[in-house]
Amino acid sequence: MAREVIATGNELASRAAVDAGARFYGGYPITPSSEVMHEASDLLPKVGGKFVQMEDEIGGISVALGASMAGVKAYTATSGPGISLKSEQIGLAFIAEIPLVIINVMRGGPSTGLPTRVSQADIFQARHPSHGDFASITLCAGSLTECYTQTVRAFNLAEKYMTPVFMLLDETIGHMHGKAILPDIEEVEASIINRARFDGDPKDYRPYDVPMNKPAVLNPMFEGYRYHITGLHHGPTGFPTEDAEQCEFNIERLVGKINTVAKENDGLDDLPDYEEVLMDDAEVCIIAYGSIALGAYEAVQKLRAEGIKAGLFRPIMLWPSPEKKIKEIGERFGNKIMVTELNMGQYSTEIERIIKRDDFSRLLKANGRPIAPADMVAKVKEMM
Amino acid sequence: MARLTLRFTGVGGQGVLLAGEIMAACKIKLGGYGLKTATYTSQVRGGPTVVDITLDDEEIRYPYANEGEIDFMLSVADVSYQAFKKGVKPGGIIVVDPNLAHPTEEDREKFKVYEIPIITIAKEEVGNVITQSVVALAIANEMTGALPHEKLIETMLSKVPAKVHEANKKAYELGLKYAKEALEKGE
Repeated sequence: MAREVIATGNELASRAAVDAGARFYGGYPITPSSEVMHEASDLLPKVGGKFVQMEDEIGGISVALGASMAGVKAYTATSGPGISLKSEQIGLAFIAEIPLVIINVMRGGPSTGLPTRVSQADIFQARHPSHGDFASITLCAGSLTECYTQTVRAFNLAEKYMTPVFMLLDETIGHMHGKAILPDIEEVEASIINRARFDGDPKDYRPYDVPMNKPAVLNPMFEGYRYHITGLHHGPTGFPTEDAEQCEFNIERLVGKINTVAKENDGLDDLPDYEEVLMDDAEVCIIAYGSIALGAYEAVQKLRAEGIKAGLFRPIMLWPSPEKKIKEIGERFGNKIMVTELNMGQYSTEIERIIKRDDFSRLLKANGRPIAPADMVAKVKEMM
Repeated sequence: MARLTLRFTGVGGQGVLLAGEIMAACKIKLGGYGLKTATYTSQVRGGPTVVDITLDDEEIRYPYANEGEIDFMLSVADVSYQAFKKGVKPGGIIVVDPNLAHPTEEDREKFKVYEIPIITIAKEEVGNVITQSVVALAIANEMTGALPHEKLIETMLSKVPAKVHEANKKAYELGLKYAKEALEKGE
């Protein structure tokens, strides 16, 4: 039986984390993400987990990474300015292959920007929060229900691919309060993925000695399987190296274990990377994600009521992007595509890269206010 | 029921957020859909605050009120009243605390404007200014007929601490009384 709850998106993301097996939260509060943390402080002690509010954002992610290295599923939540502060440690998590779920409830930027207002301007930041070469996994919730289901998925992907995973919410979806239908707890538990372990002789343990495009096998610390963790390039046991062949292999593997695997398998798991709404007979396609897609559903209905056959394509996994599908849409709809997002065109740039054209329409806003369905309807009419 | 959109406006710290949450939760408990969103500034106290509530029997996606489609607005601060009144549909209902928000003559022609001293009622008749959001809740519900009163009271009581149940019940009754009087008296 599915569960019906009344909650905000932020609360649901934290509930999902605990249901997905997280037993540690480290962080520092920031609007509009603080309720993720409040909920964690309430839920974790009840299930034997640990909650720590640290002195700042950097401390918050550092203890979360420590917990994860000890084998405990961990998460942190923040907003764009917090990601900026955490970015050095996020880089460490990428190269050392430490799983972690980072929830970013987006607000207006840059810098401290617009603390209480909605934005989707951290899309590029989520793809590349730190210097150096690596590939990011980024999910984006488009409903209250997805604040829950996609956060569960984020934990599973982090464990499967041994990497930090970004879970993007925004101020609207994080704070909106309403009904969500959640999957059964048994169903959630059955879906849980735990990181691989090495069970052989500790003398033979070489955590980073894995084939191309495969994630490292990191056993929990303090259980007798000794290895080194560093932000430097490292060899099979984690100790630093500058060996040219090894360094090249490391980077190719770090990028390939996400991007190449996603391309070869058409995704990183069996769950949908996008949603299509009334696309079968559509003649014009709106592309929107996160809370902006909520308005886009209504815009599609309004357009259809006026005789314009509109459809909605909503990416859920933003990075790596659902390239194959976006390419298909580019070919099918020509210039009858309207990308709408709360930034100056970050994901539009990705669409442009994939379809190799820039002749589609954009409806962009970056002043901290949402985009109303009526504005989307007007923009589509201009195109017809 | 057709879609009903309500907007509560005030300034940060007045507690207008809670009334919206209660209405949405009550509608959901009755098997429908309700969504509440709040827009506020980074000022802790004193910044204009607006809460949009959408109630429907069908699923609601876009959580904000569409401008020009709001059925009912209640305001307890002039700064937010002036900023957000344009969202109300022509002929829509507006309730203001006359000590705190000041509709123009033009507004009175365009909308159905009622004046109820919400803050004074909470402060002097209930004896607890915090109950203003429950006074507002009762007024909004009576004027829109959104939800059965007894169900809304039940939801409201589940969301406030037990020690203030009596005060909040009283606040609801007073809100209801003043709303009925205002409707009888006319705009």
